[in-house]
Amino acid sequence: MLHLIKYRFICTMRDRSSMFWAIAFPLMLATLFFFAFSNLGNNNLKTIPVALVKDSGNLTASTFVSFLDEMEKDDSHIIQVERLSEEDAVTQLKENKITGIFYAQETPSLMVASEGMEESILQSLLDSYNRNADMMYTVATEKPFGLVAAAAAVSDYRELVQETTIDGKEVNGFLQYFLALIAMACLYGCFLGFSTALELQANLSTLAIRRSITPTHRLKMVFVDMLVTFAVHFVNVMILLAYLKYILKVDFGRNMGGTVLVCAVGCLIGVALGIFVGSCGSGREMVKVGIMLAVSMVCCFLSGLMIAQMKNMIEQYCPIVNRLNPAALISDALYCMSIYNNPARYGRDMVTLLIMAGVLGLGAFLMVRRERYDSI
Amino acid sequence: MIKIENLVKRYGPLVALDHLNLEIEEGEIFGLLGPNGSGKTTAISCLLALLKYDKGNIEVFGKTMTPDNYEVKKQIGVVLQNVAVFDEMSVRENIDYFCGLYVSGKEKRKALTEEAIRFVGLEDYTKMRPRQLSGGLLRRLNIACGIAHQPRLIIMDEPTVAVDPQSRNKILEGIKELNRKGATIIYTSHYMEEVEQICSRIAILDHGRCIAQGTKEELKSMIKTGEKITVEGILMEEENLPDIRNLPHVFDVTYENQELTVRCSGAKHNLVRVLNYLQEKDIAFGRVFSELPTLNDVFLEITGKELRD
Ligand SMILES: Nc1ncnc2c1ncn2[C@@H]1O[C@H](COP(=O)(O)OP(=O)(O)OP(=O)(O)O)[C@@H](O)[C@H]1O
Ligand SMILES: [Mg+2]
Repeated sequence: MLHLIKYRFICTMRDRSSMFWAIAFPLMLATLFFFAFSNLGNNNLKTIPVALVKDSGNLTASTFVSFLDEMEKDDSHIIQVERLSEEDAVTQLKENKITGIFYAQETPSLMVASEGMEESILQSLLDSYNRNADMMYTVATEKPFGLVAAAAAVSDYRELVQETTIDGKEVNGFLQYFLALIAMACLYGCFLGFSTALELQANLSTLAIRRSITPTHRLKMVFVDMLVTFAVHFVNVMILLAYLKYILKVDFGRNMGGTVLVCAVGCLIGVALGIFVGSCGSGREMVKVGIMLAVSMVCCFLSGLMIAQMKNMIEQYCPIVNRLNPAALISDALYCMSIYNNPARYGRDMVTLLIMAGVLGLGAFLMVRRERYDSI
Repeated sequence: MIKIENLVKRYGPLVALDHLNLEIEEGEIFGLLGPNGSGKTTAISCLLALLKYDKGNIEVFGKTMTPDNYEVKKQIGVVLQNVAVFDEMSVRENIDYFCGLYVSGKEKRKALTEEAIRFVGLEDYTKMRPRQLSGGLLRRLNIACGIAHQPRLIIMDEPTVAVDPQSRNKILEGIKELNRKGATIIYTSHYMEEVEQICSRIAILDHGRCIAQGTKEELKSMIKTGEKITVEGILMEEENLPDIRNLPHVFDVTYENQELTVRCSGAKHNLVRVLNYLQEKDIAFGRVFSELPTLNDVFLEITGKELRD
């Protein structure tokens, strides 16, 4: 038994092409995502340095100044304001020391040097102010002491900051991408499962023939192979998860246990899918790999790996797809763990996933335990 | 020890094995000789309970062979026609892996593995991956994986394809050695020389049927040819052929590409009579030789076609 496990492990680990899809590719994609969305997280949002150029004597202007002061004092430390003369401000902007310049005038305005995440946050701050300027003005003139309260009242800026990105996606969308990525990594266990199936089904490879005529109990062999493949892939996904959490600092919420559990079930589905497709019929290998890639890619696409909005759109028009797409279910369950804290939804996702894993796993097992063939 | 009765295997409309009957005794080196597609591999797959068959009965070590007959499987070593090793493992790991599926105990396994490596002469390549080995070396690895656990019955399906003559002889010697140590061997091949060289009993297959079975002497005595005379580089008229045909004991004469072949039943002075005739007619010729019948002749006479690859 140990002998079987040991060599199965060696084989799986050294199976370069399958391991590439199962671990290297997701890691690469994660890094890519990270650079594409860097600085987008709620918590690791950097304080944005801005300059304030004041056109003194204007009341609206001073209201804006108080608003910015409030912003600066706020816990979220979104901006750090420095009062500068216009010349100095422009110089600093050119030298990239500050991200933007607020002009406190009759109608406050913003000057930025480039387009980016931070710039659009500043823009949204300004918009938020302008929309509420009237109210601010009233408050400032009639009850100056109430300005703090008023600022709090317009504090939907918080949500604004959270929701606005360059092209209007949710900021949380970036987490969605990483969750979809984990779902993809889980499903890509199918490549490992596929190799395993090839080495178990005597009508698929000589190696499988060779192995089925050894005196190893068939069920033992099948069991060990499936188990080791699953274990290796689970470790793969855990590596990815650790990479995301500790190196890229993605926040998965507090309930890591739940997250890990989702990954485990996800891996089971991925591996079982691979074995199942791999051992279906005796069709050509390339055809099956194609089918598998297509299935996993479509699932991932629909779950929002490429376009974060995808899942929401499907939820609107054809929710059943989200209920059945394993990638969507995995990312949704992970989402429940990290953001919503919605146990009911998590439970529903998990039950569906478990049923899927069970059906696929059983199917794969029944396929692969065959001992005699019509033709090899 | 092995009994195959009335084995029929069809692949759709194609009958791969047609009422095959074989009986193999303990201690034999049993040769299965047949051209490509004659059903050798199919017979072995059925014997190993890997293929479903349509009809027939297979007994190994006196027990009906089934896929879960692990006790029987434990005593069989198999060298498949297609190389079956893990690309991800080194030569030593491969042998160790397969050996470990048959024997338990780390020390024993290690010793057996080393012995198998020596047996096929792969000492210098133990750390290499299969894809780094040449075709012949790969074959030798394939053999080592099959016999490392020193089984009681060894089934080898064309193990020497692509192996150079020197290594081939070494392997054939090795097989005889294994046999002397007590292993029964089933050896399939389409090289009659090999089969003739090592096998104690031979079955000739064609189109899934066993067309002849016995020791090589028995097989050769089954046919009329006792001596085959070949005369090369000879120029003669077609009209001379009937004369040669009418010489005593001659029963078949062919003349093609300046080569005359005369088949005679076993008798003395056949060669002298042919040469005398050629001298009489003043026909010039080059090389002349006389052979005892080969298994190819047996095959030719029974099926009407050559066995050669
Ligand atoms: N999986 C299969 N499906 C259909 N026909 C098959 C299959 N395997 C073998 N055959 C056919 O069965 C016949 C016997 O094949 P087999 O492989 O047993 O021949 P063989 O004697 O081993 O030949 P070779 O010397 O080439 O190895 C052939 O005609 C072959 O075409
Ligand atoms: Mg064959």
